[in-house]
Amino acid sequence: MHVIPLVSTPDPARNAKWAFSTRRVPRDRVAGLGPVTSAIRSGDVILGRVDRIGSHRRIQLASGRPAELYEGDFVVLACGARYAPDQFEGVAEIDPDGTDMLAGGGVLGRMRARHARMATPTRVVPLGLLRDDAGAAINLADHALAERPRPSSGLTVIGAVGASMNAGKTTAVASLAHGLVRAGYRVAALKATGTGAFGDFNAYVDSGAQVVADFVDTGMVSTYGEPLERIETGLETLLGYAGAQGCEVALIELADGVFQAETAGLLRTSGVRDGFDGILFAAPDAASAVGGCAVLRDMGIEPDVVTGMVGCSPLATLEAESAGGVRIVTKDTLADPAGAGAILAEIRGKGGVARKDRAA
Amino acid sequence: MLMPSPPTPFDPRHACIGVTRADTDTHLVWRPGRGARGLSCWIALPPNVASSLDTEARPLVAVHGIHRGARAQAKGFAARAGIQQRIVIAPLFDAEAWPRYQQVVRKGRADIALLELLRDLHVYGLVPTERVDLFGYSGGAQFAHRFAMLHPQRVGRLTLSSAGWYTAPDDGAFPYGLGPGTGGDSAWGPRLAARLDEFLRLPITVAVGARDDVVDQNTRSNKVLDQTQGRTRVERAARWVAALDRAARARGLSDPDLRHELLPGCGHDFNDCLTRGGLAALVLPDSAN
Repeated sequence: MHVIPLVSTPDPARNAKWAFSTRRVPRDRVAGLGPVTSAIRSGDVILGRVDRIGSHRRIQLASGRPAELYEGDFVVLACGARYAPDQFEGVAEIDPDGTDMLAGGGVLGRMRARHARMATPTRVVPLGLLRDDAGAAINLADHALAERPRPSSGLTVIGAVGASMNAGKTTAVASLAHGLVRAGYRVAALKATGTGAFGDFNAYVDSGAQVVADFVDTGMVSTYGEPLERIETGLETLLGYAGAQGCEVALIELADGVFQAETAGLLRTSGVRDGFDGILFAAPDAASAVGGCAVLRDMGIEPDVVTGMVGCSPLATLEAESAGGVRIVTKDTLADPAGAGAILAEIRGKGGVARKDRAA
Repeated sequence: MLMPSPPTPFDPRHACIGVTRADTDTHLVWRPGRGARGLSCWIALPPNVASSLDTEARPLVAVHGIHRGARAQAKGFAARAGIQQRIVIAPLFDAEAWPRYQQVVRKGRADIALLELLRDLHVYGLVPTERVDLFGYSGGAQFAHRFAMLHPQRVGRLTLSSAGWYTAPDDGAFPYGLGPGTGGDSAWGPRLAARLDEFLRLPITVAVGARDDVVDQNTRSNKVLDQTQGRTRVERAARWVAALDRAARARGLSDPDLRHELLPGCGHDFNDCLTRGGLAALVLPDSAN
């Protein structure tokens, strides 16, 4: 493999704006650039130049802060897909003449669809794939956590799913994590599916959770289009990592809504579904709360906690609870050490997410 | 609470934990609450705390009654705790911020105030373990058992003395039982109920003076309470322990660690219970950890 040596001054790769999705890649591994070819894989790390500012005016840096983007900036991002109903849908393909910044967290690919309110993506000219001194393309998976299973005991696993994007899943997970930490538990806040970005990650860090990690830590820039087996392995690794760090509770968010392909696929996988001790469901409104719970029940899952944006509205809460079969829990209750402790005790006491009729 | 005289030679750790005054003879130090809802406390430190504190031993949190004698709590257990190289933390729930601290979840959220105090002290290494041993006298015993029912994961050993009344492990409306209360109380009973299994697994000792059988002005009395719990502290302690035992066995806990102790010759007086009744040995048994 031919490797184009990097010039030493200035060093465009090392001095570029490295996106959050590339946070695990050590800078000193970079020895040069290779050509962008059709053989590119999701997770390959790319040096690019910002060609035209579009919808993303900022990039989320590996350091955890947002940075303004300017045309001409050198950036380091990962090739990947994205599924975001209120932003972009795109795939892990790179056009050597110019490609799309699909997510501010650092995902480059080809946009296939966008929400009506979204401007066209920021365009990036790919300058090359980052390669090491052996000529190997650098991929996020090279720096992932080592695969490991979840602990056989001692870790209560609570899944968090939602009716849609922006239903309140992350707020719910962060609130519950905060309440449990204040109550004295050692908590992991994890995200098993989605697109690499620091919004949720930072929200988890801010909650006080002792361990925070997501699918990027298992080598995926995005889980959209990834085989379920790989996502499932990543989920197990995150739980294994949480257990190794001494966590007693793992809260693990699945992105988007229950109709999203990978989220639905995981929930229908018995090994995943039955591996949850409890399920937290977030909904934006009353109809979503009632309808989403019905969808989950069809999957054989009885949600333990229904929360989300619906809980911000007393009227929406009343509507949902009047419709039957749903009890709405507010984020304040989740964040209260007594409320969080009671929810954890109820989940631990009932023995899994399976509906009684399915279990019977 | 008087300033000591002559000035106290401070342990270097005192400055770190925010101590403002100390008594040389008892190794008591006073830590004022920090922040808008910070809980003040007296702390009884073993001699030469920096070198002798047993970092594996659970601290004792001792909660005062409605006369708010926090210093007496710390002083009362200081000697025995010092021998065990354990510290005693005696929080002061002042009447303005926590007027009904006994019921834990009322104005000021006394439970959260204690959790936050423990977190502060954990920063300084004075609360090295996840759990503390919890004791309460009279109104403090009310606080202690409700705190333990709400946060059993933070309690190692629970000892109560001379509580006026109790939250029973039944369906009565909170705070009398674990059922939904009315209005703003609706969530608390079920929250305690959710933790009942964990609570019933704790070692629990319930003590009361053998002569504490007089209904006084501080003894809550109403028809329901008197019928279900009895009229005096002696009756109520016995009935509550029996109720815990039934609740534990109904949940399949065949050998709950429950003790009921009558303190000989004692009325409703903390110092009497301590000196004559042998309360310190119940709170800080030799095999405490």
